[in-house]
Amino acid sequence: MIEAHEVRKQFGPVQALGGVGFTARDGQITALLGPNGAGKTTLLRTLVGMLKRDHGTILVDGVDPEKDPFKVRSNIGFLTDQFGLYERLSTREYLTYFGELNGMKKADLDRRIDEVSEMLAMDDILERRSKGFSQGQRIKVALARALLHRPRHLLLDEPTRGLDVMSTRAVRQALISLRAEGCCVVMATHVMQEVSHLCDDVIVIAKGHTVAQGSPQQLCQRTGIANLEDAFVSLVGTDEGIAA
Amino acid sequence: MKPKLLIVFLKEFRETLRDKRALSLLAMFTVMYPIMFGYILNQQIERATRAEREGIELAVIGGAQAPTLMSQLKQKNITVRDIPEAGEEAIGDMLRAKKVVAVLRLPPKFADNYQAMRPARIELWFDSATEQDRRRRDVEEVLRAYNANIASARLLAHGVSPVTLGPIDLQRYDTGTNAARSAGFIGSLLGFLFFPAFICGMAAAVDSTAGERERRSLEVLMAQPVRTWELIGGKWLAAGSLAIIGITLELILAHIGLSWLPLEEIGMTWRMGWGDLAMLCLASVSLSLFAAGAQIAVAMNAKSFKEAQSVLSFVVIVPMLPGLIVSMLDLKTATWMYAVPMLSNQTLMREIAKGSDLGLLPYALTFACSALAALALVAFAGWRMKSERYVLAV
Repeated sequence: MIEAHEVRKQFGPVQALGGVGFTARDGQITALLGPNGAGKTTLLRTLVGMLKRDHGTILVDGVDPEKDPFKVRSNIGFLTDQFGLYERLSTREYLTYFGELNGMKKADLDRRIDEVSEMLAMDDILERRSKGFSQGQRIKVALARALLHRPRHLLLDEPTRGLDVMSTRAVRQALISLRAEGCCVVMATHVMQEVSHLCDDVIVIAKGHTVAQGSPQQLCQRTGIANLEDAFVSLVGTDEGIAA
Repeated sequence: MKPKLLIVFLKEFRETLRDKRALSLLAMFTVMYPIMFGYILNQQIERATRAEREGIELAVIGGAQAPTLMSQLKQKNITVRDIPEAGEEAIGDMLRAKKVVAVLRLPPKFADNYQAMRPARIELWFDSATEQDRRRRDVEEVLRAYNANIASARLLAHGVSPVTLGPIDLQRYDTGTNAARSAGFIGSLLGFLFFPAFICGMAAAVDSTAGERERRSLEVLMAQPVRTWELIGGKWLAAGSLAIIGITLELILAHIGLSWLPLEEIGMTWRMGWGDLAMLCLASVSLSLFAAGAQIAVAMNAKSFKEAQSVLSFVVIVPMLPGLIVSMLDLKTATWMYAVPMLSNQTLMREIAKGSDLGLLPYALTFACSALAALALVAFAGWRMKSERYVLAV
């Protein structure tokens, strides 16, 4: 479970986060909705302790990422908007590298690589070097890396961006099975269809503030608009998307 | 569990070994560099000692008209070769082929003019583009002396003392030798033997910092439960060990070449045994680590591989500067020189080559100065990576 309360972060004159608060529960997929520049990436980086907040509290399973970032990070699978593969390493070598960095032992690591590979149906690319991988293969490898150390939490930054239909479905399927295992999944996204089909809870942030939190139905009820996309636009304020 | 620094090191090292660009650079500087170096040195020694061995070759056209001049030339150790009359083009070809220093041509009317006491023309053909200048001047010197002798004799015949024409008597003594002239140049050339320390690890240093940033994999890496100094340290050691391998191989090859070259002919020595070489290589290990540290600290701030490379191409010149300044100012070896990275290695090598008895201090200072600088740079890089401004820019 991830709890954030009144998190603020300032970079010079720019207020990146002006008061973000939410709760992401275990066994749920929580969507992080917000226009570009709303502070999603800053929020995710603050959650893993790469950035220090100026104000507020964050607890990941009761641990403050600022006080013990390593404990938090070893309990979080972080998928950034870029996949960050190494072209000269094979998928197995890549996964081994990150597994070792997370302190996994050789035997356990080998077993886990096979497990994750089976779950994401990526046996065919396990021994290949990532040069020339398709976008779908890349995200599989990156997702496998994020899941490798059995984190209880997943932070995903636009995981289905640029994927074809088949790959998108594969990722969604993986997320659903992770939810069933009781993982706490937080996913920044712009795809409304994904939010309404997949997510149990939605956090809307704009200009560094939490504007609303609730299930997709609750958000629609609250704004009195049946369509989630229209509800989102009305929550954010109409012209902010372009302005930001 | 493996230490995380080691995990990062092994991964970076393995990745670099698969990088063809980095490996070819490494191979070029460890193998090609000493070979090129030996070739240039050999050329220098050849050129410096050739004049003293071979003397001066002069081709003469119509030499029979001036037997006295010919014998005077021969007295000055100039080899005179009579050749038949040739046109401008043929003379030019002969000079370009560098078979002779110059061609002396006495026109057919020379004897007539000489006897009638009219100025008798002599032509000296030479190619100023070749490096025969000094030897050509020797020939002219003989011609001038011959001219003065004849003039004196004629004056004397007219009852005038030739002494009146020579108020001063200039005598030149040149104590320089060709060898001494080139020894200084070759000495400063030897300093470049340490340059590969800054080249061999560069690709790895750049690829593991600016390259990772460009490919956006650094953010992922920094979100792992790893301390920044472990990340930086692993990358630093990977780049550093490539440089260590490169410079050690290169020094061994250079040692073989230099032992084989006839350096004594230009007044230099290479009195280095294998034991000395091993000590020199050990003392230079820290230079490679210093180079890698500097490259990591600089390259991590660049946003792309290309940007890092262009910045670094300036940075690698900086360590060469102290050595160049010292050789320009012609300073004598002093202890402080062992406390400046790069300069210390160059000085150490020069002193060992001379056969000086050094003691341990120069070795220790050479190792320590680069090692301390390297640690400072790595600490700076680690501190920089931890800063929020850096995290934001990743």
